[in-house]
Amino acid sequence: MHATLYGDAAIHYVDDGPGGAPTSSPVLLLHGFGSNFELNWNRTGWSNLLVSEGFRMIGVDLRGHGGSGRPREDDAYLPGVLVADLVLLLDELGVERVDVLGYSMGSRLAWELALIRPERVRRVVMGGFGPRDPFADTDLSDPGADGSPFGALFRAVAELPDNDAAALAACARGQAARPFTSTPAPLRAPLFFVAGEDDEMAEGVERLAHDSDAAVLRVARRDHRTAIAASAFKKAVVEFLTTDAPADRGAAAGEAG
Amino acid sequence: MTERTFTLPDLGEGLVEARVLEWRVAPGDRVGRNEPLVELETAKSAVEIPSPHAGVVTRLHVEEDQLVRVGDTLVTFDLERDSGIVGTVPEEAERTERRVRLRPPEE
Repeated sequence: MHATLYGDAAIHYVDDGPGGAPTSSPVLLLHGFGSNFELNWNRTGWSNLLVSEGFRMIGVDLRGHGGSGRPREDDAYLPGVLVADLVLLLDELGVERVDVLGYSMGSRLAWELALIRPERVRRVVMGGFGPRDPFADTDLSDPGADGSPFGALFRAVAELPDNDAAALAACARGQAARPFTSTPAPLRAPLFFVAGEDDEMAEGVERLAHDSDAAVLRVARRDHRTAIAASAFKKAVVEFLTTDAPADRGAAAGEAG
Repeated sequence: MTERTFTLPDLGEGLVEARVLEWRVAPGDRVGRNEPLVELETAKSAVEIPSPHAGVVTRLHVEEDQLVRVGDTLVTFDLERDSGIVGTVPEEAERTERRVRLRPPEE
């Protein structure tokens, strides 16, 4: 089912799948910068896989992307604002807890959601993500103009049909206004990191995984763009989401928090 | 035995070629319609192409890392008899049912 939730930005989402998989919560899918649910999760085979494995899947187009609203103000894209969209959507759907699967910017938001609203998140998979500053050496006043890694990525996604370069630039500035920090880390949900071994955006993910007590998988011969479709990634995620959970990490540490 | 080839479809967005990242099937494999066939990289993204047919894969025409152009043959299938009818795909018998053990929210 495709639908739109009207908050202060319209949020287009897909809610699909039977949701009968054993030991699973609905899976919330968060795409990367400049992408959308269709490109990031549907064409790459993820939605087919998750539905055939019996998961209920909730895929959003983050604001500024896909079929969702496209505010042009930087502040409309602060990580906390995008996370608030997600919480609003879960409330609207009456979903208490989700597993979250993110890629790239979507992983950063998955981390934030687990940090800010730990009671809504059961497990988190973060693909194509690391602790380094994705906007290093990028002039965000005109993000497509320079030769930095993000500048190249911005130019590529700005060319995609239906993308709005001004909204994406505002999104980049909003995200950059709150740089990622590896502490505090989400304490409750088990975390799992996956990245192509040639993914420069994920540089340092092993350290981040170690520091946040999480597992990490590097996919051979894949980079930031190609790891997303990899069968090794998919297989590992299904296993992570369907294996009997150890107790929540916070609880295992003596009901801390 | 009915052979059917499958060529690289038009992927949209003016893309004319793609690189094979990984085959998800091998010659001799039985594949169901819509099951994963091959992962490709285009100039813009990575995609997984599902199988358009149910049948047995008889030949892969392109190796991993090779470029294919729209219209090039990717794979040859031996279609199953009665392929107009949705075939039964063997269930994975070993999939175990596990009990849900959700902890109540600690609030």
